[in-house]
Amino acid sequence: VTGTEWPAYQVFKQDRADAPHENVGTVHAPDAEMALMNARDVFVRRPECISLWVAPESDITSRTAEELNAGLLQPPAPAGVGESYQVFKKVHQRGSHVHAGTMQAVSAVEALRRAREAFADPPGLVWWVVPERSLARTERGDTPELFEGARDKLYRDQAFYFPDMLLRQLRKEQSATRGMPRGRKGGV
Amino acid sequence: MKAGTDWALSDAVLGLADDEMILAQRISEWTGHAPILEEDIAFANLALDELGHAQLWYGLVADLRQEHREEYPDRLVFQRPPADYRNVQLVELPCGDWAFTMLRQYLFDALERVRLKALVKGGEARLRPVAAKIEREEAYHLRHTSAWVLRLGLGTEESRRRMQSALVAIWPYTGQLFGALPGEEPEKALPAAIPLREEWEDLVLPHLAAAGLEIRLESAPVSAGRDLHTSHLEPLLNEMQQVARLAPEAKW
Repeated sequence: VTGTEWPAYQVFKQDRADAPHENVGTVHAPDAEMALMNARDVFVRRPECISLWVAPESDITSRTAEELNAGLLQPPAPAGVGESYQVFKKVHQRGSHVHAGTMQAVSAVEALRRAREAFADPPGLVWWVVPERSLARTERGDTPELFEGARDKLYRDQAFYFPDMLLRQLRKEQSATRGMPRGRKGGV
Repeated sequence: MKAGTDWALSDAVLGLADDEMILAQRISEWTGHAPILEEDIAFANLALDELGHAQLWYGLVADLRQEHREEYPDRLVFQRPPADYRNVQLVELPCGDWAFTMLRQYLFDALERVRLKALVKGGEARLRPVAAKIEREEAYHLRHTSAWVLRLGLGTEESRRRMQSALVAIWPYTGQLFGALPGEEPEKALPAAIPLREEWEDLVLPHLAAAGLEIRLESAPVSAGRDLHTSHLEPLLNEMQQVARLAPEAKW
């Protein structure tokens, strides 16, 4: 970070009401509201989406299972009610972080430790916790503006278009109107 | 003229279509050049949305003139000279800097908000469903550009200065936005054309003020009809029509 770059936000997208939020990537933005809009523009143009969360990358505490096993999380248990954390875990090496649940804890590290016990199955390879207060979410009222536009849009893969074929056709027509190329004159 | 052809109404719709088309072509110049990758994607999408809206309106023009729904819009877009375009001058102005682009887009999106709302409510029956379809996407555009205007206006000294000079340069062109649509019976297309300016000002003036920007009219407002264009439209069309002119009868 050079100091002029905007901070990175991790983006979590929910496709259906019965599916958890899942990490889809990052966006850069000057603030949470713009991060939500950038997330919408980058990740929700075509597919289904009913909700987005964004969290500044710097507010996410991340630990691998190895780090947790090595006992890197042995904090003195501080007193107090703490705050609410959202927990995400990655279960497969090539998967993404999926929302596992909410955990009340006095620190991020404590939330991680407790989350690992509470959401043990299936075992997580990499764990993320983020304080609830760092998370910005779209609201139900945002749905028409942010998500419904994409719904009836036809998604066209690039294979839908045939530029090569069209260009060849065009050249053929042009050479037909200008007379056949010299080499093929009279042939057939 | 074919029986049942509604020229008077189709001319008015052509104005709506040309606004969207020329703006789409103009702002697509940012593709690959926007300040950050995320905005590059967002803004290219926005240009594509405007192009889609143009397509909807041109389709209606074709219907009203009993022309082919696919081929006729292509002819309108790729074979008309500048003098036959019926867009407002605001949309043909060069992109300038990011502040100019964003402010122009915001003011146009706000125009779309009030114009489409009026069309959905009291527009000619055949215009209403098209307006309703476009309105939904435009709601997001306005949200996006409103947010940018606020942040650029309240951002750094440089962004504020650029926004303020963009506002001074753009404001006279807003005079043309609320003139009658082209054609003989624009009031049939959009009966409430005139009071729209007040509604638009109620929307944009508080927002511009909140962004720390000040309206200063330093040149005469543009009040020309939609048949008069700036010198910027011709080079835009030259580029847009370049390929079509090479092979006017090509089928795509």
